[in-house]
Amino acid sequence: MEIFLQQIINGLVQGSVYALVALGYTMVYGILGLINFAHGEVVMMGAMVALSALSVMAGLPPLVSLPLSLFLAISVCMALGYGIERIAYRPLRHAPRLAPLITAIGVSIVLQNLAMLIWGRDYHSFPQLFANHAHRIGGAIINDIQIVIVVAAFLMMAGLMLVVHRTRLGRAMRAVAENQHAAQLMGVDVNRVVSITFMIGSALAAVAGVMVSANYGLAHYYMGFLLGLKAFTAAVLGGIGNLRGAMLGGLLLGLIESLGAGYIGDITGGFMGSQYQDVFAFLVLIAVLIFRPSGLLGERLAERA
Amino acid sequence: MVNSLLEIRGIKISYGGIEAVKGIDLDVGKGELVALIGSNGAGKTSTLKSIAGLQPSNAGQVHFDGKSMSGVEACKRVSMGIALVPEGRGVFSRLSVSENLLMGAYSRSDAGIREDLLRMYDLFPRLIERRDQLAGTLSGGEQQMLVMARALMSRPRLLMLDEPSMGLAPLMVKKIFETIKEVAAQGMSILLVEQNAGLALQVADRGYVMESGSITLSGTSLLDSDAVRRAYLGG
Repeated sequence: MEIFLQQIINGLVQGSVYALVALGYTMVYGILGLINFAHGEVVMMGAMVALSALSVMAGLPPLVSLPLSLFLAISVCMALGYGIERIAYRPLRHAPRLAPLITAIGVSIVLQNLAMLIWGRDYHSFPQLFANHAHRIGGAIINDIQIVIVVAAFLMMAGLMLVVHRTRLGRAMRAVAENQHAAQLMGVDVNRVVSITFMIGSALAAVAGVMVSANYGLAHYYMGFLLGLKAFTAAVLGGIGNLRGAMLGGLLLGLIESLGAGYIGDITGGFMGSQYQDVFAFLVLIAVLIFRPSGLLGERLAERA
Repeated sequence: MVNSLLEIRGIKISYGGIEAVKGIDLDVGKGELVALIGSNGAGKTSTLKSIAGLQPSNAGQVHFDGKSMSGVEACKRVSMGIALVPEGRGVFSRLSVSENLLMGAYSRSDAGIREDLLRMYDLFPRLIERRDQLAGTLSGGEQQMLVMARALMSRPRLLMLDEPSMGLAPLMVKKIFETIKEVAAQGMSILLVEQNAGLALQVADRGYVMESGSITLSGTSLLDSDAVRRAYLGG
């Protein structure tokens, strides 16, 4: 029971991060019908920039340096998201779908190598800024950082839903996602909406990157690859293009992964251990693609694929 | 024409080497209801798209209110006063009826938007009953009302309608055309593209006939023309 509760907590924490990243994939897909495979690298950049900023501001009180670093990471990632779309996707807006997929992978490789040049191949440790208290809930443990991650992620998701469903910009985003020509006829500058969408997704990615590195205490130039793939899996699980689906998919994937890792030892009689954690995400991806390609909340299928 | 709101001179449009519009001239005066009729594939929709800025042209000029439209993006033309209700309507089916109407006012930032929303509900009472419904759940006729109201929400000076009667029941077609007349009576300049030539020419002040990319006839009394009768009115 304690293991169960603990894995639920771990799953929620990891799932919150997946959800934030999955939102970036799903928003871009919803509007352009494109999988932005460089999105994971934006998450990594967010973590690395924040870490560097924190180490530069090591002398300052954490209450100053943390928000500043976060702000810097968000700004850099938003600029990066904007740039990626302008350079790698916009010129190919009307090209066959394979072309932007290839440039996406290209951008991803470029960003990884760029990060490797700047920060090297080593793991960077996230400084301990605050005392990270551990709290006991019925035998399981949750610490301050994990609480902050879950709460912040939910607040950001609620904020995003408000923007998308209650503002003029959100209406324009949904209109562009549905019919670009009709949206233009309403006076919507489609390119601008696309840019803003990339920037919002990248801002969420930056925060997710900082969360992951704070939670594990580590960041690394290669961290965006696996995280990006898993968040993509979460988006597909929820139904790609669907915002609620991305959030649901993220949380579910986090839970599946951590419960899977927690119990795989018992189930296989110790033959496999929690090092097989990563397998679950991709089992889920394969299962969804075979049995329910539209995802849990997705209704339309293959219309744009 | 002195009071010309829209002035088209020598517009040519081609799709991959095939010329769909072969250099046409067309005018819409202020407060005029002009019908553009012709069979399927004559180039009517391409012409409207080009006026709205959705379709680049290879040659020719579009002037709106004396200003050249060359190089003006589609999204900018809306705030200048050009509104197009596209063929097939283009409702945002996953937005509610009221959200669709608000999208129509996207290019505006004045205080009169709420007021105009109420005016549209006056003009189309069916829409107020369904304002919180997703637009995709409306019937075809209701969707046509919605997109006309949505276009009017931008406070256009030129309203272009592409096949508003398409796929609608006769009773609904009648209702839509009554509304077109009503809007025209309020002084709106309208360019109406229709395959239903008889109906369009009845409400229009003037008409153009388009055939395989060229204007073949134009004038105020096309209904009396034998050629139009034979080709479009079945006798």
